[in-house]
Amino acid sequence: MTGMQAFVLGAVGLGIALSLGGPRGRRWATGYMRWSLLALAAGLTLTPFAWLFCAAFKTPSALLQHPFLPPLSAWSTDLTLANFTALFTAQPGYPPFWRYLLNSLFLSSAATVIQVVLCSAAGWALAKYRFKGRGVLLAFMLGSMAIPSMVLLAPLYSLTFHLGWLDTWWPLLIPGAVSAFGVFLFRQAALAVPDELLEAARIDGASELRIWLQVGMPLVRPMTGAFCLITFLGQWNSFLGPQVFVTRQELLTLPVALNNYMGVYSQQYGVFLAGTMLAIIPPAILFFALQREFVSGLTSGAVKG
Amino acid sequence: MRLSFPWGAAPLSLLAVAVLAGAALVATSAAAPPRADLVFALFSKEHKQAYEPLVAAFAAKHGVRIEVQHADMRALQSRLQSGFLAGAEVPDLVELSEPAMGYFTKGPLNDLGFVDLTERIRGEGIDTIIPQGRFAMWSTRGRIFALPHDVHPTALVYRKDLVAELGIDVAQLATWQDVLRIGRTVTVDRDGDGVIDRYLLDLPAEGDFGLRTLLLQRGGGLFNEQGQPCFDDENAVEVCVWYAQASRGPGRIAFPAGWGQQLSKAMSDGIALFYIAPDWRTRQFELDMPHLSGKLGLLPLPAWEPGGRRTSTWGGTGICITKACRNPELAWKLINTLYLQTEGMGERFASSNILPPFKASWELPEVREARPFWSGVAVGSFYAALAPDVPANWVTPYTELANGKLNEAFNAIAVAHEAGEKDLAAVARRELKRCADYVRTAMARNRFMGEAP
Amino acid sequence: MTLARRLAPLWLLAPYIAITLVFFIVPLLDAIGIAFYQTNGARSRVWVGLDNFTFVLSDPDFHKALINTAVFTLGSLFIQLPLALGLALLLQNGKGRVTRVARLIIFSPHLVGQVFVGILFSVLFMPRFGLINQGIQSLIGWGLEERWLGDPTLVMPALILTSLWMYVGFNMIYFLAALQNVDKELVEAARLDGAGPWQVFLHVVVPAIKPVMIFVVLTSTIGSFQIFELPFTLLRGNGPDNAGLTIVGYLYQTAFTAGDLGTGAAVGWILAFIIFMVGLVQIRLAGKGGGA
Repeated sequence: MTGMQAFVLGAVGLGIALSLGGPRGRRWATGYMRWSLLALAAGLTLTPFAWLFCAAFKTPSALLQHPFLPPLSAWSTDLTLANFTALFTAQPGYPPFWRYLLNSLFLSSAATVIQVVLCSAAGWALAKYRFKGRGVLLAFMLGSMAIPSMVLLAPLYSLTFHLGWLDTWWPLLIPGAVSAFGVFLFRQAALAVPDELLEAARIDGASELRIWLQVGMPLVRPMTGAFCLITFLGQWNSFLGPQVFVTRQELLTLPVALNNYMGVYSQQYGVFLAGTMLAIIPPAILFFALQREFVSGLTSGAVKG
Repeated sequence: MRLSFPWGAAPLSLLAVAVLAGAALVATSAAAPPRADLVFALFSKEHKQAYEPLVAAFAAKHGVRIEVQHADMRALQSRLQSGFLAGAEVPDLVELSEPAMGYFTKGPLNDLGFVDLTERIRGEGIDTIIPQGRFAMWSTRGRIFALPHDVHPTALVYRKDLVAELGIDVAQLATWQDVLRIGRTVTVDRDGDGVIDRYLLDLPAEGDFGLRTLLLQRGGGLFNEQGQPCFDDENAVEVCVWYAQASRGPGRIAFPAGWGQQLSKAMSDGIALFYIAPDWRTRQFELDMPHLSGKLGLLPLPAWEPGGRRTSTWGGTGICITKACRNPELAWKLINTLYLQTEGMGERFASSNILPPFKASWELPEVREARPFWSGVAVGSFYAALAPDVPANWVTPYTELANGKLNEAFNAIAVAHEAGEKDLAAVARRELKRCADYVRTAMARNRFMGEAP
Repeated sequence: MTLARRLAPLWLLAPYIAITLVFFIVPLLDAIGIAFYQTNGARSRVWVGLDNFTFVLSDPDFHKALINTAVFTLGSLFIQLPLALGLALLLQNGKGRVTRVARLIIFSPHLVGQVFVGILFSVLFMPRFGLINQGIQSLIGWGLEERWLGDPTLVMPALILTSLWMYVGFNMIYFLAALQNVDKELVEAARLDGAGPWQVFLHVVVPAIKPVMIFVVLTSTIGSFQIFELPFTLLRGNGPDNAGLTIVGYLYQTAFTAGDLGTGAAVGWILAFIIFMVGLVQIRLAGKGGGA
């Protein structure tokens, strides 16, 4: 019997023993089950991260030698920072690594800000004003989510060319600036804002712009936090788009730079994994900073599904 | 009313990040340079780094500016395709890999996005200084659209030390049938835990590159010279049956060692003894497994019949000039510098182990140099000796499709084998025919390729 | 109604309408047109009528892609969503730090991009050396040499497992948020009336979170039907015997690998139609509580 089998059997046995121990035992068993299930889920979720974290510090030959970290005695030979230094080592013909990082940071945050402004405007209008064609617009918006973006790639490329936008960041920022998902999300959130507030503001003489920005938007802030995270992550991890529309290395993004380590002839897993680890850090910081807004944001948005 | 950012802290902080990052970018970037006189796009970092000094010297000599762009193969292909479709700007010179090229040759000949190089190649006698068969991959309907970058002769790399320990005489591995026979004595579970810990050979269990390489060696392939699918002929039947026995079910002798670090691990641990290795792979072995120095040997592929061909080929790159190229003469000169002059080729071989097709380069000192890693064997000369026998690999727009279909047929054959089917050849004939017919049907839909070659 | 108020939706929607018109409608019309042609480059273009559609609909590979995608979608709906809901139920009560951390942990895989996940899991699924293979072997004594990404019968389970890792936490957050809105007094009242936990869940909790459930089911369905990047990076293509071929993978193969943009566009329209119909059916099934 392997250690793992013994552990699982022991854990299950403890649960059974508890549940046999009378009413008090059963209560204990419920709590025990709840926590062990959670621990199991968290453990399974974290295992790939743990593997990734260890792998990023291992030499190529040690990568698959031990599942996680090598025994202490082998640390000096099997562990290394070389994967990280390789990332930051200048390569002739390529911009330094921090340049990709900066590009990604700029593109992701700029795209997110643009989307927040434009999507919240459209969503607000669709939720809070009655006008001709609103139903049609709403139906169109929902329907547009069904169309796979890949179908539009070739025509979009042609359009980008005719606008003189090839090899710039415009095609990465503008076409996606009004995602249907975002408009839909903001509309749902705005529905929860009571109309009486708007009327009260109007009676006070507030302009429509002011009502949108200073009455409406503060009330959907939680949802805005959630939307920011999702949008930022989408742009941060986008891979094919940047490469199709942009050719200059200085303008490319982090995933593209990292993918270069998985070459045609050779695949440097260690460097790639080290880069993946680094690439997780900025969105993770964002998550920690936004977590309160994010979770409560979804709560308030959930009032209207 | 208190002034505040309407959307709250999250977008505000992102706005700050965008402004800061933007400022840093503005501060550090140079203005976009005007378009260079030649734009050369390729898909491999290794190629870019190897060409850059030569390109710089060439640019200085001709007083022009040349830009070498590197992108992921998939992105490069998408970009070229969209560029051709929209009539948008495309690079002047492009290096493509084998299946990607086929894909661009789908339309009427005079509509292809690349310049027809046939006259130049024949006129300048280039087809005599490069192995003829290498043009197959870059031809459609008798016209040549790219110059080959490589030959990629294929052989076996093996753990010399372990093979010697086991008392295997590699000279006995003359045919693939010998391999199967000897392999069954070697492939064992040494510690009795029910998992085999040593195999004779590394082969992908799905067919994939292993199957294609062996099929080409056998004299078959996905397509014949006329561009028609031929992977349902008797060559394919024979190779598929052997491959199923070697890689699947009880009695298998092959382990799928895969790629990258997994491959290194299998090789270091000696899980498989022999590995299919084109020239380019030997360089990866040198880089990834310095600790195996002196422990690896090179062996021509076992033949399919006594006296048969002992090499094959796997992969390939070629260079083309796009029709949009503003200075095709200059582009052709650059191609000559990179592909048809020995200058710089020696260094390139030493850094990549990729044998150039340009025969004159085979005598370069770097190619003939004995390598300590390979126990004093000259890797270059070893592969150069195999190069003239490398089979022609005919590529069409349907190569990717046919490749998938060959694997599909193989899987059906392997499943039948695992289920104990006695008449595997019959199954193979049926499945291969079905899959090849699928490709024929798909090809019949093409309204552009009807013209006679 | 004042003029300002009547004009407001106009300028609020102007950027959405302008950008959508230029960058969605124009390419869309182009893509609709191209589905009726066979094209090659800018100059060769032949009208083929409905041929692209009839070919796709009769192509066994497309049928396979359709089945794979449907299996994957069902897997997401019937394994992933219940798991996400279960985790949300486990995590709904605790207010402490542990709960918060657990929430973050379970959401964290979503921080990793699909391209990275694909490559990360292709290492974890390696026969013999992969962490998953080794883990399963030490647990039940089987599976060390299983080719998760190479054996046609195991490819779909591997894909579903990987997407479980990626999306369970993401969907859990939605459910968690919805559960915060369940009326606690109603739950207490039901308990006092002698309802068991299962009955409370069925008759009090489910009706309360139904709108969010519908939203999650709809977006998961759309997302699963359009899945491409994950199998493509995980399998370096369509997988053995096309076992990992999805509809968008088929679209990619026809349009970008085989260069037949017209057929690719036709696939896109068929997929959009399928998603649209499935979405309609889901909204219909959900009754009045659903949709926008």
